Amino acid sequence: MVMQILSVCVAIFLFSAVLEVPRRHLFFAAAMGGVCWWVYVLILKEWESSMSAAFLSTLVVAVLSHILARVRKAPVTVFLVPGILPSVPGAAIYRCVYYLIRNASQVSTHYLVETLQIAGAIAMAIFITDSFFRLFLAYHVKKGDLAGKR
Amino acid sequence: MNEKILLEAVVLAGEIMLVSGAEVYRVEDTMNHMLRRSSYETTETVVFSTGIFVTLDDPVKEPMTLIKRTPGRSTNINRIYLVNEISRSFCRGDITVEEAYEKLKETATVIQYGPWLRALGLVGVPFCFAPIFGGNFLECVASGLVGIALAFADRIVKKVRLNDFCINAFCAFSVAVVALMIKNWLWQKTSVDVLIISSIMPLVPGVTFTTAIRDTLNGDYTSGSARMLEAVVTSLAVAAGVGGGMFLFQFLWGGILW
Repeated sequence: MVMQILSVCVAIFLFSAVLEVPRRHLFFAAAMGGVCWWVYVLILKEWESSMSAAFLSTLVVAVLSHILARVRKAPVTVFLVPGILPSVPGAAIYRCVYYLIRNASQVSTHYLVETLQIAGAIAMAIFITDSFFRLFLAYHVKKGDLAGKR
Repeated sequence: MNEKILLEAVVLAGEIMLVSGAEVYRVEDTMNHMLRRSSYETTETVVFSTGIFVTLDDPVKEPMTLIKRTPGRSTNINRIYLVNEISRSFCRGDITVEEAYEKLKETATVIQYGPWLRALGLVGVPFCFAPIFGGNFLECVASGLVGIALAFADRIVKKVRLNDFCINAFCAFSVAVVALMIKNWLWQKTSVDVLIISSIMPLVPGVTFTTAIRDTLNGDYTSGSARMLEAVVTSLAVAAGVGGGMFLFQFLWGGILW
């Protein structure tokens, strides 16, 4: 498992060259990918549900991204997109369409449902974190201690 | 303040962010923040995933509107980051609108990592992603080899200006052909499925699909459904490329012809 997490970290590090992650934040972006896969594997082993694994791993990554974004003064996207890359349903969406054009509609439907479940879980996790942080910020801006920040 | 330049700068900022893959609400948020420095009374921005509309209006001035169509998109986090920096320093009043516009123009074409680093990324990603899909070390190396084919294909399509569908289909096509070559002629023990899946990871629209659902949850239904379609079309291109490559390989070397 350690090998897998390390390989995900390196993969995200190299993926950053394709996604053009800013050089200053490269290491944190790669670490995010590793954290995501770590939580994902842990939850998958414990609960055997890829949907909750995707949801919880994204939740962790999203919260960490928001914190890092404030600490390192960068938009959340810089850490979030590399962070969710390992759990995003890229392979599933490809398989769905691939089996569709191979005329295996039952397998295709299976992967379509999986895609929707995982992407929905990830989007939900990010949405919840975003809303939470916005609430938190609105409260602090009202109090005046974080005025001018967004 | 020159409102004409402000309008151009705001639309350019929005365009760069949108094309680089930022969520719609973030694009609108940045644009509205920048527009707050104008002297016009009402400002309105509408961002769809294929176009941007900005209009400024005031009881005593002529209204201004700018519309921009935004074709072609690829994730570029660095540009989102830079636009964010520029808009922040503009909103703080550190730079004038002319300076901001100049900086945004530079940002629109900035590329951080050269073609060789990009190629290295395209080779390394399949190598490192193979273990996730259950590959052993041999399959990692084989995926790396397929990644070299992907990097070559990427360089070729960058020179020939094609649309997104053809770019993805061609890259996926070369991935499939090379993966089958390795499987049939080099290492029979490798699994083609692992090789192909880990090599097309840079092509498949996983992040786009997730962003589409997030846009939808945020209430940007038009952009959400447009992005969802974009993801479907991209994966269709990839699947068609892989399917075509497999068919051609079997047709030429699979014993159908001789």
